[in-house]
Order: sequence, then C-alpha cells, then structure tokens
Amino acid sequence: MNEELDSQLSAMFDDELPSGECELLARRLSRDDALKARWGRYALIGAVIRAERGVVLQSAVAGRVNAALSHEPQLATGTDGVPLPSAPWVRMLSGVGLAAGVAALSILWLRAHHGGPLLASAPMTVASVAATPVVAGVARRRSSGPDSYVVPPSTPQLMTSMPPTQLADYVVAHSAYSWPISGGSLLSSLMVSEAAVGPPPAAPRRRVVRQAAGHGHATQRPH
Amino acid sequence: MSADVSDLSLVRRVQRGDKGAFDALVLKYQHKLVKLVTRYVRNPAEAEDIAQEAFIKAYRALPQFRGDSAFYTWLYRIAINTAKNAVVSRDRSPVDYDFDRDSIDESYDMQGRLKDSETPEGLVLTDEIRQTVNAAIEQLPEDLRTAIVLRELEGLSYEQIAASMGCPVGTVRSRIFRAREAIDRRLREVFEGGLGRTEELG
Repeated sequence: MNEELDSQLSAMFDDELPSGECELLARRLSRDDALKARWGRYALIGAVIRAERGVVLQSAVAGRVNAALSHEPQLATGTDGVPLPSAPWVRMLSGVGLAAGVAALSILWLRAHHGGPLLASAPMTVASVAATPVVAGVARRRSSGPDSYVVPPSTPQLMTSMPPTQLADYVVAHSAYSWPISGGSLLSSLMVSEAAVGPPPAAPRRRVVRQAAGHGHATQRPH
Repeated sequence: MSADVSDLSLVRRVQRGDKGAFDALVLKYQHKLVKLVTRYVRNPAEAEDIAQEAFIKAYRALPQFRGDSAFYTWLYRIAINTAKNAVVSRDRSPVDYDFDRDSIDESYDMQGRLKDSETPEGLVLTDEIRQTVNAAIEQLPEDLRTAIVLRELEGLSYEQIAASMGCPVGTVRSRIFRAREAIDRRLREVFEGGLGRTEELG
C-alpha cells in the first residue's frame, strides 16, 4: 500500500484533505475494498479511543446496509440541483444543444428587430422557443407594415448597428460545438439570408469578419 | 479547510450513482450512529437494526441532500427520528436522555446488554479489539499518542492540535497517520489471525 495514499486517507478521514484531493480519493475509496477496509478500521480505532462502550465494535451494520442496498437501484439524482451522471456524450450533446439554441435565438432576435427572410423559414422555431421578447418584436415588426419576405429598404441602415457579419462571427466561433446538429443549417441559413440582403462576400467568411472587425464597422452592402 | 469536504465528496459520488461511496460513509459513522441510537433503545441488537434502517433511509433520501448542513448532522437527525419512531411503534419508553453513563455500573449494564444480543465469539472479538487498540496506543511514542488522542477524543482540528503541540500542521497530519498505522497493524493481526492473540500482541 502506498504510504502517501494512506496518509491522504487518514487526512480525509479527519476532513483535513484539500477538496481536490478529496474528490480523487473518494473515487478511489469507493472502488478499492482494501482502502475501504482500512477506512473502516480508522473508524474503529476512533470508536475505541472515545470509549464507545455501548457499541459492538465488531459491528455488522455496514455489511447489512451494503446487503440491503444491493437490491436498491443506483441513485440518479437531479431533484436537488445535483448534476446528473454525465457521460461524455451527454455533455457534448448538452453543449451542442445550448450553442444551437443561443445561435437560433440570436438569429431570431436579429430578424425580429430588423426584419429578414429567416422569419419565413423559422416559424416553428419561434413557436417552440416561445421567448416573449422575440414574439413581441415580431408582432411589433408586423404591425408596422405588411407581412413581406422582401427585405425592406431600411434594412441596410439597421444592419449597420447589428451587422450579419457579427452574427456570422458568432456562429463560426461556435461551430466547433454546434456543427453536429445545426452548424450546417445555421451557416447555410445565414448565407441564404445574407444572399437575400446582398451579394455574398468574395473572400472567405472568416477573413471578411476579421476585416470588418479590424475596421471597427460593419461591411456595407449595396442594395 | 472547509468542514465536511470529505463527506461531501463521498455524498456527491453516491448521488451520481456510486454505491461504493456510501459504504465508506456507513463505515465511518456506524459506530457513532449505533451509540446515538442506544440512547433510545436498550438492546444493542435493536440499536443496530435502527442504525441500519437509518442508513437505508439516508441512502434513499440522499437525492434531496443539498449539503446545506454537514452530512453527519443530517444523518443524525434521520437516526433520531428513526429511533423515536421505533420506540413509539413498539410502545416502549426511551431511555432517560440525560442519564449519567459514568454512574452506571458498566460491568452490569452495558456489557450485560451486549451479552443479551451478541454471540460469545462476537463479544470476545469486541473485547480483543478494545484491548488491542488500547495496548497499541499505550506503546505509541508520546507525540503520536498525544496527536491521535487530541484528534479522536477531543475532536480538535489539525490546526488546533498544531497550536497545542507547537508544531506545523503537516507534522500533525504525519503524526496522526503514523499513530493510526501503528494501531492498524495490530488490528489487522487480530482480524487476520483470529481470536486469542491479544496476549501475544500486547
């Protein structure tokens, strides 16, 4: 047995081990029967020193609890805010979902405030997200004029304050997380929407974004 | 050092479905819990039953444990409630909560209770464990014995022990570990060698 490990075990038993080391040792302790037996003997030593005379030192409680719980299902909590067991693929999907959701909301918000063709292709998304500000924005936008999938003449000025290149930058930056589900569709939607606004950029997307950021203003597109 | 870190790390593992971590919590607290329950029920075997029930209840309730209090405090409450319910359901009066243990003749009262519920072999082993641990403590160097007693009997933190003994915290940690190792070596011999070896060990 590793002496350093045993020393850590002793400190952990006394609640004197740093939390990071505790996490690692708790994992090992839960799987290592020899370590667990040593842990139990440390408890026994404490009981004797405290002269817990009423207690049967050769207690069968631990074994009986273990046997009783062997028929119990494993805990898989979530009711108290404790994270559920997260396999790597679960964590990946969570990240992907979050990135996709944020990107979709950004696009919808942008289109709701500045109008755009994406609304036509995303009514289901709006309904499912049910985000009040977005819906309110859509309602306001629609009440100010007739429903139209044609970009209104004022769009270029509005785009100056929230250029699509920033959105493109956001989507590209998050593409590492979102591509398995929505990266392709988001990017293609964006490209379609930009195509509706104006001609596609001649240079690669990343380069255009950098240029726009470098000049500190959005790329103006002819219309 | 924040309190209850080690228990909490084990609790979190149990909450993620690791039953082995719960074994460690049971091993750590079984003696304390049985001792606690013996305030309510006279029979040690019944106290063990109630402690077992309390641990199982705790396991099932662990998803609701948020860590707002120390794990043992939470477990303590479960055990108390389980013991009270057991007493009520069996229509028994609890033992006087404030009785003075020292005023009771232990050879009659406590050991007498053990004889009611435990096998002779179990009792012999219990006595042997006690003798072995006490003999091992007696043989410890002074600094190791002081450190382990301050920790286990007085419940002092490493920092408090360090201040008391005038040494660094790291030294305290090392002393307590070495004391436990020395005692544990003797204990392992008892468990592995069977009964009747106390005289050889002492």
